[in-house]
Amino acid sequence: MTPSACDKSAFSTMEVCGSLTVSLREFGCEQSLLSRPDGSASFVQGDTSVMAGVYGPAEVKVSKEIYDRATLEVLVQPKVGLPSVRERSQEQCVRETCEASLLLTLHPRSSLTLILQVLHDDGSLLSCCLNAACMALMDAGLPMSCLFCGVTCAISTDGQIITDPTAAQEKESRALMTFAIDSAKHSVLMSSTKGSFSVHEVSGLMTGKKECAPFQTNKTVNAKPKRPDVTNRLH
Amino acid sequence: ASDVSVLWLPLPRSLLTCRTAEPLEYHRSFLKENCRPDGRELTEFRTTTLNIGSISTADGSALVKLGNTTIICGIKAELANPTVEAPGKGYIVPNVDLPPLCSSRFRPGPPGEEAQAASQFIADVIESSEVIKTEDLSIDRGKLCWVLYCDLMCLDYDGNILDACVIALLAALKNTRLPEVTINKETSAPEVNLEKRWELQIHKHLVSASFCIFDDSILISDPTAEEETLSTAHLTVVTDEDDRLCSVHKPGGTSLSGERLQECISRATTRQREIQKLIAKVAHSVKKAQ
Amino acid sequence: MTNSPCPHPDNKPFSGQPEKEKTWGGKRFRAGPVAWVIYFNMPTDTKRVRGPEVSQSPSLFSCDPAAVLPSKGPRADGRRRDQVDVRPVFVRCGLVSQAKGSAYLEAGNTKLMCCVYGPRETDRKDETDMKCGRLTTDMRFAPFSCPERGSWIQGSQDKDFSLMLHESLQPAICLHKYPRSQIEVSVMVLENSGSVLAHAVTCASLALADAGIEMYDLVLGCSMRQDGTSYVVDPSYMEENGCSSVSCENQGGLTVAFLPSLNQISGLQSDGDMTEETLTAGVRTCIEGCYKLYPVIQRALTKAVRKAAPSQSES
Repeated sequence: MTPSACDKSAFSTMEVCGSLTVSLREFGCEQSLLSRPDGSASFVQGDTSVMAGVYGPAEVKVSKEIYDRATLEVLVQPKVGLPSVRERSQEQCVRETCEASLLLTLHPRSSLTLILQVLHDDGSLLSCCLNAACMALMDAGLPMSCLFCGVTCAISTDGQIITDPTAAQEKESRALMTFAIDSAKHSVLMSSTKGSFSVHEVSGLMTGKKECAPFQTNKTVNAKPKRPDVTNRLH
Repeated sequence: ASDVSVLWLPLPRSLLTCRTAEPLEYHRSFLKENCRPDGRELTEFRTTTLNIGSISTADGSALVKLGNTTIICGIKAELANPTVEAPGKGYIVPNVDLPPLCSSRFRPGPPGEEAQAASQFIADVIESSEVIKTEDLSIDRGKLCWVLYCDLMCLDYDGNILDACVIALLAALKNTRLPEVTINKETSAPEVNLEKRWELQIHKHLVSASFCIFDDSILISDPTAEEETLSTAHLTVVTDEDDRLCSVHKPGGTSLSGERLQECISRATTRQREIQKLIAKVAHSVKKAQ
Repeated sequence: MTNSPCPHPDNKPFSGQPEKEKTWGGKRFRAGPVAWVIYFNMPTDTKRVRGPEVSQSPSLFSCDPAAVLPSKGPRADGRRRDQVDVRPVFVRCGLVSQAKGSAYLEAGNTKLMCCVYGPRETDRKDETDMKCGRLTTDMRFAPFSCPERGSWIQGSQDKDFSLMLHESLQPAICLHKYPRSQIEVSVMVLENSGSVLAHAVTCASLALADAGIEMYDLVLGCSMRQDGTSYVVDPSYMEENGCSSVSCENQGGLTVAFLPSLNQISGLQSDGDMTEETLTAGVRTCIEGCYKLYPVIQRALTKAVRKAAPSQSES
């Protein structure tokens, strides 16, 4: 596994892992690409692309102040139009995941703001948002107890599991699940599902996603030495 | 009023004093003994009561009480034109409202993040489970269909509103009677017969079960508002009668191992049976009364 | 206050003639006025799950004509005309665990709930007069509470009702005992079957009493509707909004908020066109109606106090 600097266009596809075929679309990340926020990152998964910016720790509004920890606000901006109820639910998922991994108690009575701008949605949007959020928080140098990554899996009508589906694959699928997995214990931080599925399928996915996890967490580890303009790739 | 309720608990005074000052410590001292401040066991749900069809202005309604938490669901059906993308389908529009009436934590004005997230959750669950086939709501393909406005309102907020919302929604849908509509051949205008009504067909009976994780390890079911604020993660599992999962919703929080998740799912399936029985019983008694 | 019967003006074209609604709806889709109203709702729609742009109530296309209410003889629910015949009232205190005080009231099919929060610190810090507490009232209709679905967005009628509720309650509360604090009263109408404001006043004063807020007296509400020479007390939704075929003279509605033990009126709201004599007679009728309500409310309150008492004596 060697991180290499390369152009986004030069990505190759992912390979097999363990018993389960885990194929992800080519993905890439760039950190510190914006000058105004305290931390920023863009994350690309196939054609899905999200830009994230972090501001803080900064002064907090009195009404939102929490006496023993920092207040985290997450804003998801859709590609077009105003944020709707769907974005609000994504915000909730990302915020609570970040809250679990950030050491918020180190910055009591202050505010952190994370803005996620969707640049293009071609499936697995929530997982891309989570990945972008994690990279941006790291870039901002905020203390975290663990890293996390997002994985989206779709179960197609014939029962096949597709990881990191495109929008077309999502539409055809019977069920769609997004998990956030932490780097320390490889356990589930967040789960959000659509469609109906059996207990067996979800436990199968749990093991599947665990095999996925080392991949994805590695990629975040690779990104640690902050080099602007470097996109990290796992090979 | 909540401070007074503490006083009847047969506990030493030293414990009582800390509920307001150190709520987390207070709860921990109970959880250590495998029980909860309200006398429940860790996996016990609060008493659930259901009242169907109490609102006559709605086409279907239900009131659910889950311990103190109270949710009322009213369904109003209206006529609309279907979308061009789905000409043979109707609409189901669920909205959850948390008015300032239900708790002091909510302010007047447009719905806050929690209400919006709850609305989206209910909308997702309806879509995933296909509790009602939207095809059933079509009247005249491409021209006319039903819109079911499912308005869920919290009247008393004491935690776990999602479970109460799902029960209220299901019971209200079961109670919904839509008037018959015929299309006049000559004028091609709809004619509604308000006297003659038909029942909606419920394809899936969904029931949700919510859990909280305390101190990253202790799992409790059906949390109260206080337990929700003190816990580190929430989890909601929605199942249908065939024991298929319609949603495993965990919006962040501390991590959960696979075994723990399995535990929650099996608890959710037993909860499914309990609620199914309750709804059937109440629906039966309502029919009898008519 | 306008004469518009529905608490959600969003549903209506602003014609001021709501009775005509059946004709404008006709049996065809006329999207004009509806689309116009929806356009105004657009900005806040992003915070709710959206439905189709336009939808219409099935009752507009009903094939059987709406029944015309008789202006003579017994009323639809069997009560007597020209008599102080109020609907039986069911009241219960302290149902909401989160609130300081709460009350639920059912009169016929009219169902409403009221919660009281506070006294707590005021939201507004700039208020100069801090010697006296502030009372805030909020009255809302659940979207499914009326025959026609209402919007979630608070209409001007809701605000009017909130204001009148405020005016009726304020004289009864010893606000000078709560300096620098505010008391919040919120009423939710679950089902509107007429006389909502009157019952909201009763319910709110009961909730205030349940919250232990110091008051001079309870406030009871009663309303009546004059229709030519005859009148109905505690009118139902149909009676409030149904158009009568008789001439428009001496027609109107009246709602009175009354402090029974002080024998004072704290709020009076009337609409329509009534002669002076009719109005004074109407006020007297409403007061009589309030007295009918009084024992029921007192009983509910004593019951709530009794229920709360043992737990306090234990401590």
